[in-house]
Amino acid sequence: MHITERVTNEDKLVHVRAIEDADFKQITVKRYLFNWKKLEHECKIYKLTLIDSEDVLGLIALIDFPEEERTEIKLLTSSIENIGKEKQYDRIAGCLIAFAGKEAIGKFKNYPALSLVPKTELKQHYIAKYKMIDAGWQLYLEDISLLNVIKQYLS
Amino acid sequence: MSLKRLKNYTTEDIADAMVLPVTLTSKQRKEADRQLSEHRAMRRTEMTEEEKLHFKLFRLKFQLEDYLKEDQYNPQFTFGYFLEQYLQLTNRKKKEFAGDIQIHETLLSSILKNRREPNESFMIRLELHSNNMIPAIDWFKLLEKEKGHQINTNRSLRDKESRFVTHSLQLV
Repeated sequence: MHITERVTNEDKLVHVRAIEDADFKQITVKRYLFNWKKLEHECKIYKLTLIDSEDVLGLIALIDFPEEERTEIKLLTSSIENIGKEKQYDRIAGCLIAFAGKEAIGKFKNYPALSLVPKTELKQHYIAKYKMIDAGWQLYLEDISLLNVIKQYLS
Repeated sequence: MSLKRLKNYTTEDIADAMVLPVTLTSKQRKEADRQLSEHRAMRRTEMTEEEKLHFKLFRLKFQLEDYLKEDQYNPQFTFGYFLEQYLQLTNRKKKEFAGDIQIHETLLSSILKNRREPNESFMIRLELHSNNMIPAIDWFKLLEKEKGHQINTNRSLRDKESRFVTHSLQLV
């Protein structure tokens, strides 16, 4: 799994791991836009870092719905310097989404899905970028659409 | 969080980097979940058998790849185990599959039971049968992992072989 440094166009290996208590010291609202600690009890939170660094470049909060064989993305954000035209790295969000999808595939046996409730203004972007399926209020990835995102970002 | 706080960014920039939380009332939430559930059920009925197989094979491929990446040896995850999974997913009986890859059914049974070791030709035939979905190198690495564990933990062979070794190096 890799992200791409925009200035050099170099691919950098990353990994996604479950967050640890000690990580919250560096996860400030200023850099990661939300109080992630508040989500700790409701969601499983994962961090994306370069393979040789502990600096968190992106975070994702997931909730499982086992009876529906579904994982929902409650929140995802890249660190503030990785948002917008001047961002340092590409693909952070994609890698986190693909990771969540692969986790869902590992957890749910028959028809695993990854879903999110999009802000109305952002919905079409997710559909265009990840080929998410429109189910009305929610968007989701399942079977081939899910595999395609995993192949694109995790290989 | 409102998008106003991110006013310096375009919606594309935001969607490219974030999934923002959306608060729904319990009524909205119920409706959203109902819509999603119905949509998924409808898609499932429309899936072809080929699409279902494709997805299941990918799952097996991921499981195998993840296991190969782990340092830990798992005695359950033998060559025979993954091969059995492959046969089940592809809905092939032993006799049919042996015919597909032109080996004797008895040999296939022995490999499934981990009594015989598959050779390179067998692994390449597996790759070809899966239409390159599961490459021969992954089957090979699986076998290697098993053999690595065996050689690492085989005390009786060490005892037996020690009779043939003299002048072993004396290291500090």
